[in-house]
Amino acid sequence: MTAGLIWALCCLIVMIMLYFALGGLSEGFAKLPFMKLNPNTNGGELAQQVVMDNCTLMIRKPVFDGLLRERNKGFVQIEWKGDLPGKINDTIDYNMDSSPDFVIGIIVPENQVNLVALNPKVRDVGISTSTSYGWAARINIDK
Amino acid sequence: MDEAIKNLTMRKSFGKSMLYTLPMFLLTFILMTGGRPDFSDRSGTIALLTTFLGLNILYFLMHYTGKTDKLRAILFIVFALTLSFTLIKNTIDIRQTMTYSQGDILECNMPFCHLVIPMLILPAAFTQSIIYPGSILGGFASISAMVVLWLAASVILGRGFCSWGCFYGGWDDGFSRFRKKPAIRKISDSWKWMPFAVLLMVALTSALALTPTYCDWMCPFKAVTEFEEVTGIESAAKAGIFISLFGGFVVVLPVLTKKRTQCSYLCPLGAINTLSNKVSPFIVKIDKQICNDCYKCVQACPMFALTNDDVKKGSVSIFCTKCGKCIDACPKQAIHYGIVGVPANRMVKFSRNIFLFVSFLFIAIFASGSIITVVKSFVNLFI
Amino acid sequence: MLDSFILGLSSGSTCLFTCGMVIFPYLMAGTAGTRKIITDLSLFLLTRFLVYFILATLAFYFGKVIFTSPVFRNYISGILYMLFSGMLIWYAISRSRKPDCPAKIVETVHNRKLVPVFLGVVNSLGFCPALMLILTKSATEGTIVQSYLAFLGFFAGTALYFIPVPLAGKIRRKKVFETIGVMATGIAGIIFMIKGLTSLIGGIIYG
Ligand code: SF4
Ligand code: SF4
Repeated sequence: MTAGLIWALCCLIVMIMLYFALGGLSEGFAKLPFMKLNPNTNGGELAQQVVMDNCTLMIRKPVFDGLLRERNKGFVQIEWKGDLPGKINDTIDYNMDSSPDFVIGIIVPENQVNLVALNPKVRDVGISTSTSYGWAARINIDK
Repeated sequence: MDEAIKNLTMRKSFGKSMLYTLPMFLLTFILMTGGRPDFSDRSGTIALLTTFLGLNILYFLMHYTGKTDKLRAILFIVFALTLSFTLIKNTIDIRQTMTYSQGDILECNMPFCHLVIPMLILPAAFTQSIIYPGSILGGFASISAMVVLWLAASVILGRGFCSWGCFYGGWDDGFSRFRKKPAIRKISDSWKWMPFAVLLMVALTSALALTPTYCDWMCPFKAVTEFEEVTGIESAAKAGIFISLFGGFVVVLPVLTKKRTQCSYLCPLGAINTLSNKVSPFIVKIDKQICNDCYKCVQACPMFALTNDDVKKGSVSIFCTKCGKCIDACPKQAIHYGIVGVPANRMVKFSRNIFLFVSFLFIAIFASGSIITVVKSFVNLFI
Repeated sequence: MLDSFILGLSSGSTCLFTCGMVIFPYLMAGTAGTRKIITDLSLFLLTRFLVYFILATLAFYFGKVIFTSPVFRNYISGILYMLFSGMLIWYAISRSRKPDCPAKIVETVHNRKLVPVFLGVVNSLGFCPALMLILTKSATEGTIVQSYLAFLGFFAGTALYFIPVPLAGKIRRKKVFETIGVMATGIAGIIFMIKGLTSLIGGIIYG
């Protein structure tokens, strides 16, 4: 009985403190090792950056992350930040082996995308979409 | 009124009720104003004061009338409605539409809600990362703040979170009150295990696909918050599922059964919250010495948390959300809020006072932001 | 592989709680200790694995013969998915469902050593709607490896439930677990129903 009462009173105190301490608690919680976005979610780490006339092309590291181990199928995310031209046509070397892997062409106003694979590991376009900063695409690739 | 019942009634005098409301009055004022009241913005001030007074009047009435459920439900339903309004308004302000695009997902711009939590656990354990495309800290509804709030509320209130904290529960709670009597009465008791099956499936599918599958495919509340732009068969199927689940589990079934069917049959977080009832110090107790087995409480319970057998045994099941409906329905005052370890019929008033304070403080502050936003929008329409 | 694993996981629990009640006593009856149970269980799982391997091969080659065009493949697989997932949902919600298990035939086997092998064969050839769904999936896969992977996922999902068999006697509230298992099966049915529908509509629109 006493344990129950003590527990209830502790809860009362915690509840009163909760909202005062929420900012600090959230910051502390956000520092926990698992509190970072999964590469499948945020597109992975930035690998290359190419500054062009009006915009910057960002190529992220290929993502193959699975639950327990890497998957055989993954994607590479590329982003164009800045003022986009009406037509994008870029040759991408995502694995940085100095030979181009695919050519991606996007007609921005029509949201049309065309992919020419130069590397057999490049499969198809997963996502191609406008974003607040410009454009982003996820190209599905094999490991 | 017989003497025993009179002693057990939870009503308080006007003065005593005011006295009990005072700490809530002060705390809500400090928390809602951040300790530094700023009355420079007219509509903001009106919205703040209206919300503040409204909340405290409700709390006062809980003490003064001795009733809990109806007053709680007012706040709970208002919370659900205003939160949906705020979310939609926020989405429209940012994107000029109620739908989100794949671009928003890639930019990790999605507001986070507690229903996602069951899907985060396995991936967080195995990949040490979060699979929801939202903001970890800062911004509108960050993952960190929401998880902290939910964790604290679940430990303290147990499944009480589902009647005193969740900003979706008010939807089916509201619809379950539409009719005086249920049109469908006979429902198999085993359906109440359904959320565990949903939990199993969404936890596994999310872990294996590393995307929050419940949000992607099953959440009925997408219909009243935001959903994916329809661009093909898959997104059309998703929109169809969201709308049908909302129509079926949140509107039609609650109206017909007078039960909170979404929360009882679908919500995977509800299943986890059920387990958290084992930790919370607050429970609902049945005093078998007073109970005359009329089973009015069983009919009243909107959560399938009470069966005739439970009443016979004198204990409420782990599905209880501590809404207080059975307590208010009991003609003998045989059911009451209690504290773990304290025998039924002992410290009854103390237990209720402390539970009400804790749970009301949680929902009042959690809900105040969205209520103020909505009141302010209305005030702005007129001034 | 992912969806087969999930299907296996969801239907595996039902499989365990219905057939398991027949299988446990045989696997455990007359055994002296955990070692024997583990040997029997391994034999049982190995047999299931082999049967699935054969089924995957057969399904793939039959699929190649039957599904000659991709559009036809979309239509047929869509319809089959919907049919079998409908059966799976019905199986989950039907109240008159008796916990009947084909493994009961085992009563006719007299050689004790062969019992786990026999049980493995009978259990994997139970032709429940979940297995039919996997057969459909396997038959419509592009390569034989994908077909094997589909069965492997299903095998892994169902096998997980049999691993704690030595602890079976200690599971409390079996009824609750069974109920949750049956409901999870129903949900898996719904997932495959949607998959079938999208495949069918996709076939109609893009065919
Ligand atoms: S069951 Fe789910 S939706 Fe219902 S109140 Fe609880 S957390 Fe909210
Ligand atoms: S048992 Fe009572 S308090 Fe608990 S959910 Fe049912 S009506 Fe609400």
